[in-house]
Amino acid sequence: MQYTGHGGKPLVERVITDKAEAKKKIAGLKTMPASRQMATEAIGIAYGFFSPIEGFMKKADVETTCKKMELTDGTIWSIPIVYDISDAEIAQYGLKVGDSVLLTYDGNPLAIFDIEEIYTYDKESMAQDVYGTKEEKHPGVKRTYNYKDKFLGGKITLVNEPKVREPFTPYFLTPRQHRQKFAEKNWIKIVAHQTRNVPHSGHEWLMKHAYIAAHGDSPVEQMETMGKAISGILVNCIVGEKRVGDYIDEAIVLTQDELRKSGYFRADIHMVTMTFWDMRYAGPREAVHHSIIRTNLGLTHHMFGRDHAGVGTYYHSYQAHHLLMSIPKEKLNITPIYVLEWAYCPHCGEVTCIGLCGHWKELQKFSGTKIRSIIMDEVKPTRLIFRPEVFDVVMEASKKYGFGSPFVTQEYLQKAKPAFSIEPL
Amino acid sequence: MAETYPINIWINEERFNSLQNAGLGKLLKEELAGMKVLIVPCTAEQRDKVLQLFPMAKYDAATTKSIELLPKKVKDQIYDMVVKKKSLDVMDDFIKLVEKG
Repeated sequence: MQYTGHGGKPLVERVITDKAEAKKKIAGLKTMPASRQMATEAIGIAYGFFSPIEGFMKKADVETTCKKMELTDGTIWSIPIVYDISDAEIAQYGLKVGDSVLLTYDGNPLAIFDIEEIYTYDKESMAQDVYGTKEEKHPGVKRTYNYKDKFLGGKITLVNEPKVREPFTPYFLTPRQHRQKFAEKNWIKIVAHQTRNVPHSGHEWLMKHAYIAAHGDSPVEQMETMGKAISGILVNCIVGEKRVGDYIDEAIVLTQDELRKSGYFRADIHMVTMTFWDMRYAGPREAVHHSIIRTNLGLTHHMFGRDHAGVGTYYHSYQAHHLLMSIPKEKLNITPIYVLEWAYCPHCGEVTCIGLCGHWKELQKFSGTKIRSIIMDEVKPTRLIFRPEVFDVVMEASKKYGFGSPFVTQEYLQKAKPAFSIEPL
Repeated sequence: MAETYPINIWINEERFNSLQNAGLGKLLKEELAGMKVLIVPCTAEQRDKVLQLFPMAKYDAATTKSIELLPKKVKDQIYDMVVKKKSLDVMDDFIKLVEKG
């Protein structure tokens, strides 16, 4: 079945699944090792997470992405997907336009890269356009400045599918597999919750808020029967490059799933998956990119909260909402659900939406940093703000995967196994 | 009152009982549905010194306006000094202690 992806274009799938055919296609090709960053994005391109993009961007698409937030054909696009390379590497591998090169990862075949263009791009200008700043302390800007001086553009074809390690294995689904899963579940409306966090009750209520908003004009009778839901919440965890102090990916994925396992969400309305993507912290532009990815996964709605994909004080709290609102509806085939924060009100004795509760001065706002501080102090939070089952999973994950910490440490960065590997073909 | 850049030390039940028994319950604040926290104030100078001594920590200017990501054992030391001195005014002593090694 052919699915439709972002921009109303066919979902991209550039994967050779037949090993014999793959071996035949790569025979005699020049080989070049791909970094983890580039391998991650090659996989994303080939499975269609970034549809309609079929390869690493050529200069004209980078230019329009930066300047107009669209591809050369007018499709909305907010973040350049580029393959950087040095002159020394171009010489070392003897690369030229028109070559097809075999990218390798872990020393094994990964993808065929048809080099259609070799170009330069002003990195400062790219940073300013995408991140709204040239300051190197912004992690996305730093990543941009760290790009090597040349870029390769051209199509990618995956010849060897990644092996995703435990505990991530059941959570990695391609866009096609997501859509098949939704069809099995009979979900018609599906709202995305983007996350790189262990959930506290504030997150849980954001998801419930978004679900109710997305489902609001649908019949409710099915909801009276467990197993008959026609709308769902997809928690799509971003798994990728980490910074010291972030939650480890294992804790994020497992705790999100625990919310359903422990009954805080019904089994027939909640599902957790993951997407490989290195966060750029591009705030509003990253929100648009997340919308594109989730459109490609087959979702109908996307929740956006405060400071979506932001960092520090570079973007104001609801800047992502404003950018999304400025995009014509027909250009982004997913409906944004804008949500306000939820907070604990001691007067009400419950978690409530700050836009609804009148005890404004008494509200105790959730803060991811504050919750992290509580967990670091090894204090079990009250169940109203953090579910005890989730806390237990965080602690288990820290022992099992985090070298004693639920947060990324230098030791974790050095010793943790990558989430995926490429095996011999 | 001058702006402070506090360190939040979250208190479990065992420590809560110890602080109550030592008559130090008044030092605690309540946040997030009944969580107990010792809020240890720092001046701007003390904040900078703490961040220099413990580079893994950060000052969260965006949300909590507090010094975060200090390892538990560091906070444990600060907690012990608060209990010993029966006061939240411990940061000069703590910094001196760390600098002495």
